[in-house]
Amino acid sequence: MSRLTTALAAPALLFALWWLSAAQGWLPEQLLPAPAAVWDALAETAASGDLQADILISLQRVGAGFALGALGGLAFGGAIGLSRTLRQLFDPLFLLLAQVPPLAWIPLVILAVGIDEAMKVTVIAWASFVPVVLGVAQGIRDVPAPLRELGRALTFSPWDLVSRIVFPAAVPAIFTGLREGLANAWQTLVAAELFASSEGLGYLISLGRQLFQLDLVLAMVLVLGIVGLSVNSALALVERRLLRWQAQAA
Amino acid sequence: MRTPLRFALLGFVLGTALAAVPALADPVTIRIGYPGVGADNRPFASGDIVAVAHAGHFVEDEFAHDPDVKIEWTFFRGAGPALNESLAAGHLDFAAGLGDLPSIVGRANGLKTRFILTDKVRDTIYLAVRPNSGINRVEDLAGHRLSEFKGTNLQLAADKVLAAHGLSERNARFINLDTGSALAALNAGEIDGTFGSIELLGLRDRGIVELPYNTKADATSFGRHSATFVTEAFEQAHPELVQRVVDAFVKAARFGADEAHRAAVFDLWAKAGYPPEAFAEDFDHERLANRLSPLIDDYVVARYRDQAAHVRQYGLIRKDIDVDGWFEPKYLEAALKAQNLENFWPKYDAEGHKVTIGDVEQTRSAAR
Amino acid sequence: MNAPARPILLGLLVPVLLIGLWQAIAAAHLVAPYILPSPAAVLARFGDELDGGTFGSDVWASLTRALVGFAIGAPAGIGFGLLLGLSRLAGRLFGPLFLAYRQVALFAWVPLLSMWFGGGEAGKLAFIAMAAFAPATVNTWRGAAAVPAPYRELSRALTLGRLDHLRLVALPSALPGVLTGLRSALIHAWLATVGAELFLDIAPGLGGRLNEGRDKFEVDLMIVALTVLATLGLGFSQLAAAAERRSIRWRRR
Repeated sequence: MSRLTTALAAPALLFALWWLSAAQGWLPEQLLPAPAAVWDALAETAASGDLQADILISLQRVGAGFALGALGGLAFGGAIGLSRTLRQLFDPLFLLLAQVPPLAWIPLVILAVGIDEAMKVTVIAWASFVPVVLGVAQGIRDVPAPLRELGRALTFSPWDLVSRIVFPAAVPAIFTGLREGLANAWQTLVAAELFASSEGLGYLISLGRQLFQLDLVLAMVLVLGIVGLSVNSALALVERRLLRWQAQAA
Repeated sequence: MRTPLRFALLGFVLGTALAAVPALADPVTIRIGYPGVGADNRPFASGDIVAVAHAGHFVEDEFAHDPDVKIEWTFFRGAGPALNESLAAGHLDFAAGLGDLPSIVGRANGLKTRFILTDKVRDTIYLAVRPNSGINRVEDLAGHRLSEFKGTNLQLAADKVLAAHGLSERNARFINLDTGSALAALNAGEIDGTFGSIELLGLRDRGIVELPYNTKADATSFGRHSATFVTEAFEQAHPELVQRVVDAFVKAARFGADEAHRAAVFDLWAKAGYPPEAFAEDFDHERLANRLSPLIDDYVVARYRDQAAHVRQYGLIRKDIDVDGWFEPKYLEAALKAQNLENFWPKYDAEGHKVTIGDVEQTRSAAR
Repeated sequence: MNAPARPILLGLLVPVLLIGLWQAIAAAHLVAPYILPSPAAVLARFGDELDGGTFGSDVWASLTRALVGFAIGAPAGIGFGLLLGLSRLAGRLFGPLFLAYRQVALFAWVPLLSMWFGGGEAGKLAFIAMAAFAPATVNTWRGAAAVPAPYRELSRALTLGRLDHLRLVALPSALPGVLTGLRSALIHAWLATVGAELFLDIAPGLGGRLNEGRDKFEVDLMIVALTVLATLGLGFSQLAAAAERRSIRWRRR
């Protein structure tokens, strides 16, 4: 059996079970809506244009927040990774703040910047920031000492040292941090939109919950999965390209 | 072999007797849910018959001599939608004081309940805005941000008010927030307006909000309604218990609708954390019985049919529901008969005109 | 200054400066006290909560919820992860489905869970268990799939049966993955507990206090709750990391 077939076998079976259980009424419809109902909910939101608008808004929020958080994380992570003093200064506070789930900051952030875009972008940025910092710091630690020695022996300037030796060796760990940051960003986006929103995928989910429309909730869960998969695949593509280019350059 | 036989017989009789005892004394817990919480999230209700019943222990008194029957109340901060989830998960037997929108939504989505008595009708809602915001009429809300507690009867009432004054999703932004969050958001300037009831009066007195509009001054058809439901499962299992719960609620309604008890009723509701003066103002120039009536008369039926149509029209449910098959007035009728209250409350027709006068209208408040 | 003291002093420098700045802002009334209470006010609130209140039982409630949810989700995740890692077929059959499931943000499942289990304890525990499940699975899967080739060769050379191979070679080498999975699951369970308490019905717990602070506009309560959260979270991750280190050391012996 081809790789694709095996991958699709389990989902297909699950779908068949779902369809069968809805058709036979094994579970009441408010606990498990039929696939047709979920499809209808999806089609309706798409037809009215709400789905596209909400996907776009959610993507914008994640994009802005993740960009901010990742860039900040790269800068801050690099700084504390490369300078022991900076690490000793900021590590304890950073680690303590990082223990609080981003979701828990939302009430305070709302007080500071309101419930609009600023709130969502802020919490998403923070949620992305933390893993990126950890990834960068880890990546820098991962650089084998011999490589660093080599750089020093070749009297590389600090900039060269970082860009030609440290950074390329740290790329895998940095990308792990980026991937985790992106995952965090999505989690926080949905949480923030569930908290207080008037548009977005999370808003549609919470609307579905308030109006007891489980088919809408399931439809949005599917959409989230697909959108998340696409964005993550895009990031993975960038990572593969970068590694390939890096291997070629080496 | 007579002795062993005698012992065997004795054993058989004892065994059967012992086996029967648990069957007689099967403990039952009656799980009642209420869609709301009091101030500071305390587990108390106010403003309706159920609140009187809960605060006045009417249901507990009804079952005071039944050690096998326990009463369990749950108050849902998430209001109707959260209560519906509990119903769906099979964690509740009675939904007491459930608002019209969530009960309609639940029915449309397959929740199997029976409408056994009304909890309140013609409840007033107020519009709250920040002081000096320049919003003096509902129309002024155009272009602003409003909070709506989606899925609750407050949303439905608010939607009707807004629609009647020309507002919709197109010219105002609606943000889904629960009551506590909405007040905090209004306070902090995150939203410009929210609808609510008596919890807003205290805030107005403290200068935190202004109340430029209320439905009492506009049209009572804009008010909220709520009712008490029993799950079909519980009704089939314990119809006699359903009757007794209805009896207790009717007793509470009798107490709460009587003008002579006006001050006492406000004191009972004050357990929810709001001052009795707030209730006095909310019911200013209004008889208690105007809202606290358990009857399932033509008015109530027409209101629910009407609300169901509105709900469908606003796209909040996706199929029409059968309202008529929902009502089960037999328990109510039996209770009214047993307590001699068949003519206590006035009956209204579908348009809201009084058809028969009720004895309750003879009651007078002691303060007058 | 001597070497051992330097990191500690430096580490304390920034927090102390920030608190000092905070105190200065509050004292100068630059921001309204109800938006930013002074550090002293927060400390006083903390004292009140410990004295008066239910804070102890709130923390306890949150902790037990986290642990029970962890106890449900983590073993399930480990079992699933072992299946995926040790059986190539299972990995190819169910792996993609699991990866697709991971794409959906955890909080998106909240409405579903509250409809299926209600918003009470059952719903919260279901959410926390789900949160613990994924990291446990991922790490165990990775560990179990990574049986080094030399070990496999050895099994084949010794003509070990399937069961023996599992018992003597595969499972032991999967152990580090399992331990990492447990550690990650514990942390995620704790993080999810706060989420569960914020989004589902009110019940005793730290999330409930945080919500209360927000509703009543009591920022001092919010800050107290957040600080306790952070401290407990730190405790959790240190505990989990220490446990993992211990078991690896024990394994080496």
